[in-house]
Amino acid sequence: MKLALYFTFPYPSRDAFEKFLKRTLPLNYEYVELGIPTEHPYYDGPTVRKTHGKALEEFSMNLLKDTVHMIRRTGKKVYALAYCNLFENDPDGFMSSMKDVGFDGLILPDLLTDYYSMRKDIASSVSSHELELIPFFNSTTPDAAINEILGLTSSWVYFGLQPSTGIRVPLDIPSMYSRIRNICGEREIIVGFGINSAGTVKELRKIGFDGIAVGSAFVNSMENDDQEAFDIEMRMLESETHG
Amino acid sequence: MYKYNHFIPLFMYGVKNKDIIPEQWYNITPDLPEPLSPPRDHDPERSSIDLLNRILPLEVLKQEFTSRRYEKIPEEILRQYEQAGRPTPLIRARNLETLLNFTGKIFYKYEGATVTGSHKINAAIPQAYYAAQEGVMEVATETGAGQWGTATALSASLNGIKSKIFMVNVSFRQKPLRKRIIEIYGGNVVASPSTLTDYGRQILKKEPEHPGTLGIAISEAVQYTLDNNIRYLMGSVENSVITYQSIIGLEAQKQLEIEGEEPDVLIGCVGGGSNFSGFVFPFMKTDVEMIASAASEVPKFSKGKYRYDLIDTAGILPQLKMISLGADYVPPPIYSGGLRYHGAAPALSMLVNSGRIGTDEVTEEKSMEAMQIFARTQGIVPAPESAHAIATAIDYCRNNENQGKTVVLNVSGHGLLDLSIFGD
Repeated sequence: MKLALYFTFPYPSRDAFEKFLKRTLPLNYEYVELGIPTEHPYYDGPTVRKTHGKALEEFSMNLLKDTVHMIRRTGKKVYALAYCNLFENDPDGFMSSMKDVGFDGLILPDLLTDYYSMRKDIASSVSSHELELIPFFNSTTPDAAINEILGLTSSWVYFGLQPSTGIRVPLDIPSMYSRIRNICGEREIIVGFGINSAGTVKELRKIGFDGIAVGSAFVNSMENDDQEAFDIEMRMLESETHG
Repeated sequence: MYKYNHFIPLFMYGVKNKDIIPEQWYNITPDLPEPLSPPRDHDPERSSIDLLNRILPLEVLKQEFTSRRYEKIPEEILRQYEQAGRPTPLIRARNLETLLNFTGKIFYKYEGATVTGSHKINAAIPQAYYAAQEGVMEVATETGAGQWGTATALSASLNGIKSKIFMVNVSFRQKPLRKRIIEIYGGNVVASPSTLTDYGRQILKKEPEHPGTLGIAISEAVQYTLDNNIRYLMGSVENSVITYQSIIGLEAQKQLEIEGEEPDVLIGCVGGGSNFSGFVFPFMKTDVEMIASAASEVPKFSKGKYRYDLIDTAGILPQLKMISLGADYVPPPIYSGGLRYHGAAPALSMLVNSGRIGTDEVTEEKSMEAMQIFARTQGIVPAPESAHAIATAIDYCRNNENQGKTVVLNVSGHGLLDLSIFGD
């Protein structure tokens, strides 16, 4: 099972971010998602939401570029997770800068909701800059919209399990998986949002998801500079996905 | 076929209730033409979405975020639906056709035939059932016109639990019979704003005679739920409620099929949008025209904006993207309390915004005329809310371009407890 780690860049500070990120790089996992901070991370839960404020103060394009290159040297793929409100007035300019930074692709959580009318233009802009667009959708995305975005892309897909990051409401996950798998066919499905325990990872693996994405689960240990707790969390994730 | 076959009960043709009542509710979410914008938190410090775990019965919450197109209706709920008067009849309004010189056909689905007199029982029974199954001893909710409160009170009693109903103050004063029937059904009803919650007390301190709004009553019911660790039942707007209300449209589909009819237009009234959406969404895959009828005095379709807004005035619940006049909008005290809500259900709002669903807005005066026309032709006094849909249907049938068409409207409730609209 694959593992994607999410970090809001650069939270909680430039130095602390680099220190924690470096602790993960020797580990066995596949994808890094770097959250581009915004004032309105509206689909994130309170835990990730609070990271955006601090990250905005610390953000630097040069540091982002260095970080992306550092990650890529380990063979892991690295994606920008960005809200479309960051670039709605100039998608091409934004994609150009993301390409220049060195990202493999983008995850746009609000593309199929608030920016649905711009989806084709944005997908085209991403593609024209030779970036991968990772289709992001959730349980309430209609079949037709999923089919369309799958047709516009060729990468793995990101399925948002919960309505918001870091929270858990009761869901019928096997039924959701069955529907999404039927639509996605052989495409790799990475599931994220609300994954914070070994039990959940085991359950998702058993159901059939190809990988998990985790972010909120280790925000507190980064916030508190608790390297031991952070390492325990990382080892658990590595063990449950690759053990 | 006998000329007046529409007056013959279906059982005389060998059709049983179970042939009409569906075994599954329909959830439109996976079939929408574009994705619904998800609920949003608006308080940076906390998650109102997470808070739903403490507010709603868990099974209801699960169905709120489900992608399943069809949801099996538990046997016990089917039994309670039947006891509550389902299936409701689909009746051809021949006298109204004659009055209007209409060459087409008018059918109405009569939700007023349920024991509580409106469609609201369709969503109250499952929520009360799930709450009781989860060991909850009491539920709380709000009510505007009183129909939702009535349905909640009975549903709670049927499932052996208590209910607390926050009734919008203006309706509480206008509709003493509603208050009384809620109490007869076992509900405990209070006027909102009330002294039972901090939010109500704050409002009363500023304005002791505040008429109340549905947004305030929702806030109080949710606050009371959290304060007392009980569960809240949702009357409209939310996806799961619309899924439960799909029983109206699913039954109507079956009944039209038995009649050998295909509708050209579906018409219903819209407050929060549950009866209308439940009625029309099962028909969405066809090209049937759909018209949502609202109150001119609460002009959400002509003046509202499609945006994220609060469901409740206090902002306890997540924001939804919907057509809204603003959560702080205080509607005029029109008699159709069920149409005073500031917003409309997200899926309905999206389909109105995209143009798939047409809209109309009807004045209270015109809806009262429609009430009388319908009573004098069809013998049924419709609810003031439903009379808006009837007024829209009358206008539709009076338009020569629509002659010959098959019109199906949803009469969401009866108005026998609303007769004071015509004076004391």
